Amino acid sequence: MITLAFILVLCLGAYLVAVLEAWTVTGRIRPAAPIVGGLALLGRESLVPRRPDRVLFETAPVLLLIAAVLAAAVLPLAPDAVLIDLASGALFVNAAWAYVMVALVMAGWGSNGAYSLVGGWRFLGQLVAYSMLIVMPITAVAMRAASLSTTAIVHSQASLWNIVAQPLGFVLFWLAAMAASFLPPFDLPVAPGELAGGVAEEYTGIRLLIFRLGRLVLIVTLAAAITIFFLGGWLGPWLPAWLWSAGKTLAVAALLLVIGQVVPRLREEQLLAWSWKLGIPLALANIAWVGITLLLVG
Amino acid sequence: MEPGRAPTAVIGARPGHPSWLHHLVARATAKTLHAFVVPGAEVARASGLDLAGAGLRPVATPRHANVLVLIGQIPENLARAAAVVYAQMPRPRAILALGSERVPSLPEPDVAVPAEQTALVAGVTALRQRLAADSFRPEAPVFDAAALQTVTEYTCPMHPEVVRSAPGSCPTCGMELVPREATSGMTDHAAGSMQHSHREHDETATYTCPMHPEVVQHEPGSCPICGMTLEPRASDGGDPGAAANHDGSLEMDHEAAAHHHHGDEVHAGHPTGAAHHDQMTEMDHGATNHGATNHGGHEMGGFMSMVGMTKDLPRSPDGLPMEWIEVPFGPLFPSLPGGLALTLTLDGDRVAQTAVTPGIVSRGLAATWPGPLTTFPARLARLDPLTPVTYRLLAQQALEQTAGIAVPQLAIHSRISALERERAGSHLNWLAEFVRLLGVQRLADRAAALQLALRHVTEIKQIARLRAEVAALLHDLERTPLLRRRLRGIGIVPDDEAVVAGGPVARATGVVVDARNEELVYHGLGYRPIVQHGSDALARLQVRAGEISQSLDLILATGCLGASEGSVSGELSGTGAATIETPRGPATLHLELERGWVTAAHLETPAASLAALIPVVAGGTEVADALVGVASLDLSPWTLDQ
Repeated sequence: MITLAFILVLCLGAYLVAVLEAWTVTGRIRPAAPIVGGLALLGRESLVPRRPDRVLFETAPVLLLIAAVLAAAVLPLAPDAVLIDLASGALFVNAAWAYVMVALVMAGWGSNGAYSLVGGWRFLGQLVAYSMLIVMPITAVAMRAASLSTTAIVHSQASLWNIVAQPLGFVLFWLAAMAASFLPPFDLPVAPGELAGGVAEEYTGIRLLIFRLGRLVLIVTLAAAITIFFLGGWLGPWLPAWLWSAGKTLAVAALLLVIGQVVPRLREEQLLAWSWKLGIPLALANIAWVGITLLLVG
Repeated sequence: MEPGRAPTAVIGARPGHPSWLHHLVARATAKTLHAFVVPGAEVARASGLDLAGAGLRPVATPRHANVLVLIGQIPENLARAAAVVYAQMPRPRAILALGSERVPSLPEPDVAVPAEQTALVAGVTALRQRLAADSFRPEAPVFDAAALQTVTEYTCPMHPEVVRSAPGSCPTCGMELVPREATSGMTDHAAGSMQHSHREHDETATYTCPMHPEVVQHEPGSCPICGMTLEPRASDGGDPGAAANHDGSLEMDHEAAAHHHHGDEVHAGHPTGAAHHDQMTEMDHGATNHGATNHGGHEMGGFMSMVGMTKDLPRSPDGLPMEWIEVPFGPLFPSLPGGLALTLTLDGDRVAQTAVTPGIVSRGLAATWPGPLTTFPARLARLDPLTPVTYRLLAQQALEQTAGIAVPQLAIHSRISALERERAGSHLNWLAEFVRLLGVQRLADRAAALQLALRHVTEIKQIARLRAEVAALLHDLERTPLLRRRLRGIGIVPDDEAVVAGGPVARATGVVVDARNEELVYHGLGYRPIVQHGSDALARLQVRAGEISQSLDLILATGCLGASEGSVSGELSGTGAATIETPRGPATLHLELERGWVTAAHLETPAASLAALIPVVAGGTEVADALVGVASLDLSPWTLDQ
């Protein structure tokens, strides 16, 4: 029963993010657009390119969706509304997100196309760039909560949200979340202009639908993670807990979609250089900062 | 749609019995029109067509498209590429032709209307109706075109020079012949073929036996001592591609060349096509030629050993040796000029070599230029759909120069206004595609909207309003965070080579090379040459941005919205030449007239020298930087192939 509710909530979240994304691109809110678009995609042939690596080609979109759903499974919507309350939830989400990279590289290789292949490689480089920047802020957040459980992390923000307590970690995690969901300006693997669609280029029909759905759920998951780790999750007065969670998640998702649209796509070298030379020292400084404040304040 | 006539079936209908579900899906399909534009979105805008405004959303890959939009006359070789693109679109799919006659390689367009906005909107409505009605038919015709045929030939694994068109056994050694796809030398569409290089037949390459190095030949074959296939060995040491990817590039990209999978999809629903092409290569990725390098691969390091596969290739500067693959980035690649058949050889994601295949958009226009001089400007204007007014003005100036006629004073300002309007439009058009390549969609859409607005201006006061909007756009462009960092140092061209090309590319090196600089009239209107220093993509962007503003100011200074009117007539004779500053560089036309007849016309455009810069800007850089560099040159392939 709770599984069904979980799936419905995820579908609703993906739908809302799709509407938001269309709004950021076209400037209009069109509630029917994702449904109509999904139906149209279902109606198209699902072609397979010539000489693909069949296993990888078929698995990639499904794996992307599964990785996102697994990560969402440990993220709570309300104190009692989490599918699996894992004691090491914060670590588990990171492990689940790693499979996004696997899925994209599989899509890149399995499609047997040069553009997809280059897109897959680029995401591999992108992972090397952002993975530390995802894990280290989570470490700092878990330090404050003295636990890796996602519900405990939210409870630890009852006095002060982490966005205020650890602003540096918030900024780094935000950027890493954009990179993990390959949103502009980090959309190197699916660069529409440069790579004609990149890893998603050879997918059509239902496989493309699953790929896009996976990406939407991934955005929902990352937005939910930002909300839980830094924005106090369900904490807030007057309104029910789940409404706070949902509202914050949607606001974060909207900002994730909008912020990068005014910036040109990053170069792979730039991304790697900044992540490793600037991002990681800052993340370590954040951990040190959190450690010091915890020792001083308690 | 004419009344009383039943809608014809959408040619690219999907097989299936119309049911309520299919009906629902067909209506959904009709609402979401994703268009792939041939020859390119920039040609659509230059013709004044607002595709997005009509409801056609452009997409980057034909796999995600359901409408193929054809604009204007499609040259024959480009039509073959368009056929390949159409074959890759998933069904249900449709063709919308705007001002285009029936193209031989493609099926008849589902909707054909003239190339203007009102007709486009009506055409899109008709297209939606057809898609909603006929997306699913019980018997859907199969699309097959000559351009998609892959010729299967049979060859001996030991003796690659033995080629037969039917299975059998090798006359030399008696082995069973195995099937393989014909390569560029042997197919019928060699001229338009975007397939890979002919490096294997390069005269400087020599062939040697791995076991007997004393055996050296200039053609492929087998060793007379032991019978093994001779491996290519570059005699100048710089010919690595001969060993690498031979047939693989066919699969790599849809814009390129024949592949056949769609025929397979129709029959089986699953790619059984893989079966009969598969016996040749065990390596699933299909990238390596079965001939030369694989022997190395098998002997050292085992199956698909990267050590084995890359042992003949030059070491790449980043220290990571990867297999070289040839990837076509054209002629229908989004964000690059439509009609530019660029092939990049990628070493990982770094460009190792570049090649431009000429002749994709050749239309044989040069043969039409000799003729009556009254219609000559119109004939020359057909050369470049992106800047027709410029070439018409060039023709008129050349005719006047040849015949010794002085240009009437009133006409000078009018011509300047027309020329500058096209310059501003061309630069805005380029800016839209360039910024889209960089990933800033909003600015790209704004630039496209301004270009269309400029195209449709009818009064001079609208120019003043446009000028303010353009200033706002350029201001936002300047203030875009990280844009300078993205472009600085990308696509650097050495100064001496840039000066030869002329145009904004030369002016971006700090040298004043502008045909307008010679004319006092321009200086009187407030023209100052716009130069930047840097010789990189950023400098070129800044030069063109400055020129957009300046062109609009020049139009306002002339006070009129010019038209390229004025015709020369009479039984004139003589020889002469004229030069005009096109948006891409100087173009020179040499004419010979004899009694009212153009007997010879020779045109030099900046395209050839710009194309020569492509290896300079793209070689040795990461693929995204290479594409940005090529796009920053603003090459017009229409003037490259006449």
